[in-house]
Amino acid sequence: MTRIVTAAILAALFALPLFGPHPFILHMLSLVAISATVALGLQLLLGFSGQLSIGQAAFYGIGAYASGLLSTRLGLPFPAAFAAAGLAAALASLLMVPITRLTGAYLAVATLGFSILVYLLLKNEEWLTGGSFGLMGIPRPSLFGHVLTQPGHAYLLCVSVAALVYFSLLRLERSRFGRAINAIRQNEDAARACGVQVTLLKSQCFVIAAFVAGLAGSLYAHQVRYLAPTDFTFWKSVEILIMVVIGGMGSLFGAVLGAAVVVLLPEVLREVGDYRMLVFGAILMAVMLFGETGIAGFLGQCLKPFSKR
Amino acid sequence: MYLADLFAAGLAIGCVYSLVALGFAMIIRATGIIHFAQGELLMLGSMSALSTLWLMPRLPAVLVLVCGMIASGVLAVAMEFLVYRPLRLRRVPLMNVITATVGMSILCINAARILWGSEPLRYPELFSSSAYGIFGVRVSPQLVWIMLFGVVLMGLLQLFLKRTRTGLVMQAVAQDAEVAQLMGANLTRMMVYTFAIAGMMAGAAGVMFGSLFFSFFEMGFVLGIKGFVAATLGGLGSLAGAMLGGIVFGLIETFSAVYVSSAYKDAIGMVLLIAILLFLPSGLVGLWKRRA
Repeated sequence: MTRIVTAAILAALFALPLFGPHPFILHMLSLVAISATVALGLQLLLGFSGQLSIGQAAFYGIGAYASGLLSTRLGLPFPAAFAAAGLAAALASLLMVPITRLTGAYLAVATLGFSILVYLLLKNEEWLTGGSFGLMGIPRPSLFGHVLTQPGHAYLLCVSVAALVYFSLLRLERSRFGRAINAIRQNEDAARACGVQVTLLKSQCFVIAAFVAGLAGSLYAHQVRYLAPTDFTFWKSVEILIMVVIGGMGSLFGAVLGAAVVVLLPEVLREVGDYRMLVFGAILMAVMLFGETGIAGFLGQCLKPFSKR
Repeated sequence: MYLADLFAAGLAIGCVYSLVALGFAMIIRATGIIHFAQGELLMLGSMSALSTLWLMPRLPAVLVLVCGMIASGVLAVAMEFLVYRPLRLRRVPLMNVITATVGMSILCINAARILWGSEPLRYPELFSSSAYGIFGVRVSPQLVWIMLFGVVLMGLLQLFLKRTRTGLVMQAVAQDAEVAQLMGANLTRMMVYTFAIAGMMAGAAGVMFGSLFFSFFEMGFVLGIKGFVAATLGGLGSLAGAMLGGIVFGLIETFSAVYVSSAYKDAIGMVLLIAILLFLPSGLVGLWKRRA
């Protein structure tokens, strides 16, 4: 049942450009796919291993700037810049790996500190990043010598990456590694007593989440083609966190849904003008009443009568 | 002379951070919630006090402070009553409550932008502008008053928590809610008190910060983060630590802005924070607790 639904959704997503929707819609959906990628990474970190990071925007930003700089300054082709962005973010996260020893609010505030640090570096190191003026003229993504000028093609690229990350993490969730980090989330001491290498696995989750965020950052850089430090403030981290929690903790599909809601809702609410963020805040609080399962759990409950047991 | 000026400025801004940090620490101790809307309580207190000043321009400084405290206290209780309590009663996971506080913060910021506009608003002069001479050092009266108010407020809070029955019950609830409840503590009422006090501290900090610089709808965001950092610096959940953390953070920030780089003054605080979390996980208070 789940497989059929997943296949149908994927097919629909990949077939969408065929119907020639408005370029703006394609652009928004590309942004959803990019945000979904970052959110998937945080889902692994928070939903699976139970580590609260409110600094994912730092790795997202590192990936975006690495990719942007490598392709503008050194003229690196997109696939190389894309891979380098992920690696740069993962390397940066290695710096922070010692903090995975911390728990709860302490881990949160340490990642928050790191994200503020990265924001200040992006803003103040003008010789490298262009400072507050931003980084301009980032080329469109190109694959095998073919530049993706059409919004439909860029959209397909973003969706493919998001899908790839989704299925990789799904595999990871059901592996020995996934079961081990699940045990850590439920009870760290018990997991350690069972021979799970808690610190190692937690750091690995941290690095994987950063790597994924870096990849998404690279996509963002080549999709929007202009980077400013203000894209990667603490608010961005909070936004990514909201995606995961609103979608449903511990559910990969939930992270994707959450990303769609967080990216698209302000656009839908554009009608109410000045009040849109006001409404957004209120909706966020209301959704939190659903409990741990978020939108994904809510949908699941709605569909339950229809699925055969 | 110059050093003394800097020291006074650092202490004054440190007092502001201490008050915010106290609110964070109280709420975390009692509920485990990282209250992201704490900075917005500060902003709303600052704005409300400013509006009161517009209505009554000749109000003495102490009353302006009290106005800000009452406004933020009432708002904090309203938040607890309307949002956090229903969430707690439904037993949703802590992560959801924390995300709801982010929602509350977004709501408050945008409500304030609609109500007060997005321009920074300047406070009229609350204090006489001629400098005071203390031990031959001339210090701006604003700084002196802010330090004085800060110290008095923190002293009153300590007295309340240590010497009154309600204060002691609040401490007990923060230590172990279940046991305290078995001993007859009214958990619901203590939560209201906790939020009221945390709100009042934030409101006072808002008025102080507003009179030093200015108030605008996004001010709470940065100040909230710094308060949170200060609370962690002191060791989350220890009230004395929160006060100490705020003052230390204020001093570090002021001095590094001058002697290192003003662009990176926030960064230095953050590096220090990460270092402290790694090497001294129980915060500054851990230093002497370990020896004892």
